[in-house]
Amino acid sequence: MTLDWSVVWDNRFRLLDGAAMTILLAVTTMAIAIPGGLLLAFLRLSPWRGVSATATAIVEFFRATPLILQIYWVFYVLPAAFDIGFSEFTTAIVGLSLNVSAFNSETFRAGILSIRQGQWNAGLALGMSKPQVMRQIILPQAVLRVLPSLASTWVSLFKDTSLVSIIAVADLSYVALKVRSESFRILEVLTAMAGLYLLMGYPQAKLVDWLHRKYKVVE
Amino acid sequence: MIVDFSPLWINWRFIVQAIGVTLVLSALSILLGLAIGVVCGVLRTYGGRLLDIIIGLYVDVFRSIPVLAVLIWIYFAFPLIIGQSLEPIAAGAIGLGIHLGAYVCETIRGGLTSIRSGQMRAALALGMSKAQAIRKIILPQAFVRILPPLGSLLVLAIKDSAIASVIAAPELLRQSQTLAGKTFRPFEIYSAAMLIYFLICYPVARLIDRLYRRLAPLGAS
Repeated sequence: MTLDWSVVWDNRFRLLDGAAMTILLAVTTMAIAIPGGLLLAFLRLSPWRGVSATATAIVEFFRATPLILQIYWVFYVLPAAFDIGFSEFTTAIVGLSLNVSAFNSETFRAGILSIRQGQWNAGLALGMSKPQVMRQIILPQAVLRVLPSLASTWVSLFKDTSLVSIIAVADLSYVALKVRSESFRILEVLTAMAGLYLLMGYPQAKLVDWLHRKYKVVE
Repeated sequence: MIVDFSPLWINWRFIVQAIGVTLVLSALSILLGLAIGVVCGVLRTYGGRLLDIIIGLYVDVFRSIPVLAVLIWIYFAFPLIIGQSLEPIAAGAIGLGIHLGAYVCETIRGGLTSIRSGQMRAALALGMSKAQAIRKIILPQAFVRILPPLGSLLVLAIKDSAIASVIAAPELLRQSQTLAGKTFRPFEIYSAAMLIYFLICYPVARLIDRLYRRLAPLGAS
């Protein structure tokens, strides 16, 4: 077997464009999924049973089905439901955001519930309104507690963006698969793809480990 | 939009077969992942510095690379190295298992290190060997403690088996694509597939929750 790595170097700009698309997908999705997750968490904690039950059902459904199928589903359902075609990028963002919002909402909910009841009582006793207590006392503390889980979700999301290659969004996997089928240098191109993911993912995984150590909850 | 679920009834045998493949693929990858994870987790915790570094490398590599990339690499690139092609289901089970193993390893390690060191000393003082102490005292308690994260990993493994559709393993998602292409009813078929996955994954998650609530006192020390 002879290896010819020049195909990787010749296509370096395409592969880097793909990597940039991967980063753009992850950043955009997280920017939507943080407010989305917060909203779902509030809905789940709502005192109205109908609201909290609906939010719970949505979250559980998206957590218990494969993301790759959700992406297909959005791809076929969105145009049919709204009667207009969306670009592949928009479809990918919608699919990823729905999924990550569901996971984020669990993280936020756990963070909010982890703050002891006494803090609520103390805030209310000082004459603050409920939204004030939430905004000024609970959330600032909860944010620090959820940081490690949120970071883990980010790393998963970064890897999961590869799944949108199935609907032809030109991310790193898609570009690599394309270069592979044009050049027939399968081993070289696919190894380069894995290497690029490793290069980007490794520092993030280490950062998450560090966050987990630094923000470990000690009570 | 006109909704017509009849292709599902007509092709029910095809779908049941696909569900079977999904279950087999998930089970194989979970078995492989658990085996790799337990061995690596124990060795990384108690096996000394060199093993810690080597296994740490394995874990970090597979935590950084997407499952999709792992599966594609094993199915398309790995056969060029060994000079023999792989069946999609075998390639899928191997890729998913190795990937899962890295996560199980870290979870097991977390569980093992959470057991107080006094327990190990007590076991050694009672005349047990280190291997005995790990097997009979430390691991059983650690298993109870890590049941919740382990449960999430099992559900994740079932969901990730759908990614094997990209290497043409004839599992539920892949066969749904085939049906959707043949019947022109993607909405109905993907919705049904979604429901089936939910009906598999959700009970598993709830079952492990309940098991944990039952066993939790056994993990307290």
